[in-house]
Parts: sequence; C-alpha cells; structure tokens
Amino acid sequence: MKYYFYHGLSWPQLSYVAEDEKGHIVGYVLAKMEEDGEDNRHGHITSLAVKRSHRRLGLAQKLMNQASLAMVECFQAKYVSLHVRKSNRAALNLYTNSLGFKILEIEPKYYADGEDAYSMMRDLSAFSENKTDNQQAENMEIKSDSAIISQC
Amino acid sequence: MPPSNPLPPKENALFKRILRCYEHKQYKNGLKFAKQILSNPKFAEHGETLAMKGLTLNCLGRKEEAYEYVRRGLRNDLKSPVCWHVYGLLQRSDKKYDEAIKCYRNALKWEKENIQILRDLSLLQIQMRDLEGYKDTRYQLFMLRPTQRASWIGFAMSYHLLGDYEMANSILDAFRTNQMKGPHDYEHSELLLYQNMVLAESGQYDRALQHLNKFSSQILDKLSIKETSGEYYLKLMRFRDAENVYEGLLKRNPENVMYYQKLMEAKRFSNPDQKVAFFDVYKKEYPKAIAPRRLQLTEAHAQPVFERLVDEYLRHGLHKGIPPLFVDLRSLYSDQIKADTIEKLILQYIENLTSKGTFSADPNEEKQPASALLWAYYYAAQHFDYKKQTDVALRYIDAAIEHTPTLIELFIVKGRIYKHAGDPVSAYQWLEEAQAMDTADRYVNSKCARYMLRAGHVKRAEEMCAKFTREGVPATENLNEMQCMWFQTEAAAAYQRSQQWGDALKKAHEVDRHFSEIMEDQFDFHSYCMRKMTLRSYVGLLRLEDVLRAHPFYFRCARVAIRVYLRLDACPLQDAPQTAEPDTGQSLCLSLFTPLTHQYDYGT
Repeated sequence: MKYYFYHGLSWPQLSYVAEDEKGHIVGYVLAKMEEDGEDNRHGHITSLAVKRSHRRLGLAQKLMNQASLAMVECFQAKYVSLHVRKSNRAALNLYTNSLGFKILEIEPKYYADGEDAYSMMRDLSAFSENKTDNQQAENMEIKSDSAIISQC
Repeated sequence: MPPSNPLPPKENALFKRILRCYEHKQYKNGLKFAKQILSNPKFAEHGETLAMKGLTLNCLGRKEEAYEYVRRGLRNDLKSPVCWHVYGLLQRSDKKYDEAIKCYRNALKWEKENIQILRDLSLLQIQMRDLEGYKDTRYQLFMLRPTQRASWIGFAMSYHLLGDYEMANSILDAFRTNQMKGPHDYEHSELLLYQNMVLAESGQYDRALQHLNKFSSQILDKLSIKETSGEYYLKLMRFRDAENVYEGLLKRNPENVMYYQKLMEAKRFSNPDQKVAFFDVYKKEYPKAIAPRRLQLTEAHAQPVFERLVDEYLRHGLHKGIPPLFVDLRSLYSDQIKADTIEKLILQYIENLTSKGTFSADPNEEKQPASALLWAYYYAAQHFDYKKQTDVALRYIDAAIEHTPTLIELFIVKGRIYKHAGDPVSAYQWLEEAQAMDTADRYVNSKCARYMLRAGHVKRAEEMCAKFTREGVPATENLNEMQCMWFQTEAAAAYQRSQQWGDALKKAHEVDRHFSEIMEDQFDFHSYCMRKMTLRSYVGLLRLEDVLRAHPFYFRCARVAIRVYLRLDACPLQDAPQTAEPDTGQSLCLSLFTPLTHQYDYGT
C-alpha cells in the first residue's frame, strides 16, 4: 500500500483509476516522473492494469492518455517511458499500435523471474502547449463506460 | 544542553562519538565507545551514556536490554533532556506513540527550544491526531525557525486541520508573498492550490474563485483549476459559467460521468426529455465515447424512446463483441420495464441471428459476423442468471460454449451461474476449467481461487494462487506480504464455516495487521509532503486514514473474529477431543451461531 501512497503523494496528478458504476476500481494507471536532469524530464509508467472483465472498452488507452497529458501540463515531460514483458503481446500491441510507443532497447533479465523487458518510449510533444484544447480532444477519444477520477 | 551530570572532556568526546555512530548507523562502534565510558567506575552509572547504549542496542534488535539500559539511564538522570528524548525514541520505535509523546514533553521541560525534539514531537502529535498539541508545537517551531519553509507550512496546516481557515489562509498569504518562484514552479503551484482548498473549505466560494482566477497563470495543474472552478460556479449559482467549464472538461475527458452530471445540474433541466436530448448532443460531439450513450439509457424512461436507444446500444455491443455489455447494463434492471424491453430485444436478436444472421427481420440489414450470435447467447445467459432462471441461463451458456468452445469468459459465467444457484462446488469446477485454458491469466487464476474458497477448499485455493506468488516461499506467506486482503478475508470466512476457529482467527488478525500497517505508513509522509508541497493530497491522506477501518475488508474480518471469539466463549475448546461423547453441546452452539451467519449477504 505504501508504494501506492508514495506515488499519489509525490505526483498526485499522474495516477488515474477507471471505476464501474458502483465505484469499484476496474483499471488504473500508476505513474511517476523521472527527475534525472532538467533537460531529460520524463514520465514513467510504473503500472497499468485493466480487469479482464472490463477489457475491450479502450480503458487502458484512455488512462494512459490522461496520465500523459498531466505529465506534460504539470511537469513539462518531454516523453514517457515504460517497461513491458517480451511475452506480453497484448500490451505490446497497445503500446505500439494504439499509443505510438517505440521500442528503445531490450533490457535482459529485467524481471525477477528472468524474463527480458522491452524498454519503450513515447514522445509527448503532441500534448504540449501549442495544441489548443480542441486538438487535444482528438487525442482523448477513447471508449469507456466508467468515470475516471484523478485520485489515487 | 547542559547535562546534569557533565562528563570530563575525554569522556565527553567519546559520548559525542556515540551520537555520531548512532546517526550513521554504526551501532557496533557506538557500543564500543559506550563501553569505554561505562567501564570507568566513576561513570558506570552515567545516565545519558546508558540511555544511548540502550537506544543503540534497540537498533541491533536487542529490545529487552534496550529498555533496561534506557530506563536505568533515565533513573540516574531524570533531568536530562537527552535521556527523555532517547526514551521517547525507543517508545516510538515500539509504536507506543502516546508514551513517546509524554517522554518528549518531559524532555522539553528541561530544554524548551530543542528543534529536533520539537520536530519529533510534532510528527507524533499529527500521527495521533493531537491537533491542539500539534498546533502548539508548530507554533514554537515557527517562532524558533521563521526562515524555514516547513515552519510556515506546518504552522498554517495546524490551523487548517483545526478548522481555523482564516488563520491558515493569512499564514499562507504571508508566506507566499515572501517566496521566490521560477517558471513552471510545481511546488508553488501546489501551494496555491492548497491555499485555495483552505478557502473553499471555509465555505467562501466567492473568495476561493477570485483567488483561483487571480493565480491561474501560476498554477500548472490545469485540470484542478477547471474542476474546482466548476464546483464554485455551481455553488455560487453562476450556471452559465459552470456550463462553460464543464463543457471544457468534457473535451478533455468525455468519459467522466461526473462532468455530465454537473453540466446537467448547471443546465437545470426540469424534465427527463431534456436530459435525453442533452445526451444526443454529446453522442454526436464524441461519437466514440461510451459515457454519453450509456448515461442516456439511464435517463430515458418513456417508451418507445428507451427501446430505440437500448436497441442501438445492444446491437453495437454485440456486433463488436464487448464482453462487459451485461455488467454495464445491469443497473438498468432495477426498472422492470427496462429489463423486459432488453429481454424482448435479446430474444429477437437470437431468433433472427439463428435464422438469418441479422439482428432484425429487416431484409436490408447487413449480415452480422458469426460472433454476434455468440455474444447474444452470452448476454442472455447472464440476463437469465440475474433473473434467477438457472435452467434458462444454463441453456444459453451451453449454446454459447457449443458455438465457441475456446472462450474463457463463457466458462467463468457458467461457474457464476452455479454459484448464484447455490452450488459452489460445480461453480469452482467450471472456473478450474476456465483457468486451465489460460494458465498465464492472473484474473482467472484469482477468480478460480476465490471460488475454491467459497467452496471451502482453502488448501486448493492456496495452490492455485501459488502459480502467481513468489517461488521458494509458501503462497500464504507471500500473499500476506503483498497485503492480499481479498484472499485473506475469504480464507477467514471459509475457515469459520468449517469451524477451524484458530485458522479463521489467524487470517482475521493478519488483515487487522495490514490496517495497522497502513496507519503506520502515513508516518513518513508527515515530513515528506511538506518538502514536496503536495499538501492537498497529504490532507487527503490524513482524512483517509481517519476512516481507514471503515473499509469492507476490515468489517468482514472483524465480524469473523467477533463471531469466533463469541463461539469460543460460549463453548470453550476441550484440551482433548471427546470423541466418545455425542456432541450435543456442539450442536447447541451451532444452533446459536449458524443462523447469524446467514443473516448477511456477503456479496461478491
């Protein structure tokens, strides 16, 4: 639990949840900023999950876009990075095809069980200030039946 | 700080080294220096050295000796702030916060202006919610260190938490005007939003709104500006302004249900038709968003409007194959007419899809993909399960499985139908089937384990979970480490049902310990958030912790524990099981307690 608190209390704007009608959480994104150097300010996705019972609603994409916009607005992030298991085809597909992430490199044995990770990044300049609200809305179109609130 | 029993220079230097070793966690060395002082008979009972020796021992895990030395040190030097401070630190590490506070107060009696002790005291006071005490301590820290940022923030916050918004606001105002700020200053931005929160909580929405508008260019969190100003406009009945804000927010996030609700509030609709028309606008504006389409179904009451809308919604979902379609619509079923309408439509679809491959009898309708029938069966199964028509539900889910035998969702629903019909064993067996089809899926794995627990198979459930827990440690241990409370609450209830009282209590207490740990977690954040300036979230944390044990996990486990303790009190366990006796006493107890367990619906 403390790890979640740590994210919420360090970067309160960056984590989102998707709730069902009863207010139960069916998906979340947990995100942070990496502060290595002023010129290299970027966000990082610590964890992204959607319940199997609520797949195919586009929740993951929606959550990711909300978090990315906040990274740019509040912390001037230039890009966002993440790690994904090499075997996780579904996630890899979401990141590359729906969200415009690029594979940066392979990190051997990144996970505790010895599996390799793809290190990926997505450029966020499309989210930054020269865009008007209207254009941002283009980016935001995602389907979900759930309220998204900004508290972790 | 003049100790009441000063050491000569050589020993004093050694004592300073003990302190330094403690700070740098070189505990072994610390003990060595302590020994050098104490082995001199003249200083064998030197209070502060004994106390520091105790504190050092505590860090090495030797708690009993630690208490012994610290207390002995204190007895030898009751007027030493060091001894009292050390005693306080020891109690704090033992989580005896009330005792620790008393010790710090004693320490401060002998040394009023010790910053370190005041800081430590303030942390304990906020942890224990001694808000008056916290305010006094923060005041002293403020007076002693007026140049430090944390002094101002803590001082202001102490008033805020006591509900003195005016005072909190003036302190923040004074602090803010003396602060330098850079461009993109996140901390400054958070400070402004915190001040705004204080103003809003004082109920002065007008003032809060002015404050927000005045500083909006310095606030980076644009979402917060919009969300809070929307609230203020509504509170101030400035409905036109509120409309603008919520329209802007919907552009950012057209899936946020609250924005639609607030926007309708701002538009002050008086009849349901207006609401239905309202959602038509947003369906057009955000054609890919689900929220406006779904909310419209809630608002539409009149026929044939509802039927037209839900027909459109269902077809879209079945055409695309959206598994949560039923879960999504379920809440509409509280309206009988709506439930009947949906049933009529689904049965029509199934009929037409079977005979013609289309939803309707209309010859011009394009052929649907083969999967549409599958998803219609899947929906019908859940629909009739909801209506407690088990046989019909099973018929549809079997038809679906026959159509596509490889879809895991179908087996999950089949298991759920058995669960609802009161057959937990068949329920978990179908979940086992589902689990075997994709052993890498954590969701199905957990669901299967949960169903096993419902059927009373705790061991089997643990083995199921073990597929996803860390290798080399028992699953239960790893689940406990991860604070996996759904498992532990279910296991506690399962043990209670099978009258394994000891195991039930063990699980219930494990959950209770998680809650204590989460209370404990806040400790580090008292100082962390003041540095980070994330004060709104910090106040949110304090308020969450205040009601933490209202959580359903806690209630369920507390209920198990209370019942088990009552049961054990009424019928204490015998040392040796009396096998020969017919268990009349036992059944008497059962009749006392079993009815209770059925009074509550545990839900899912």
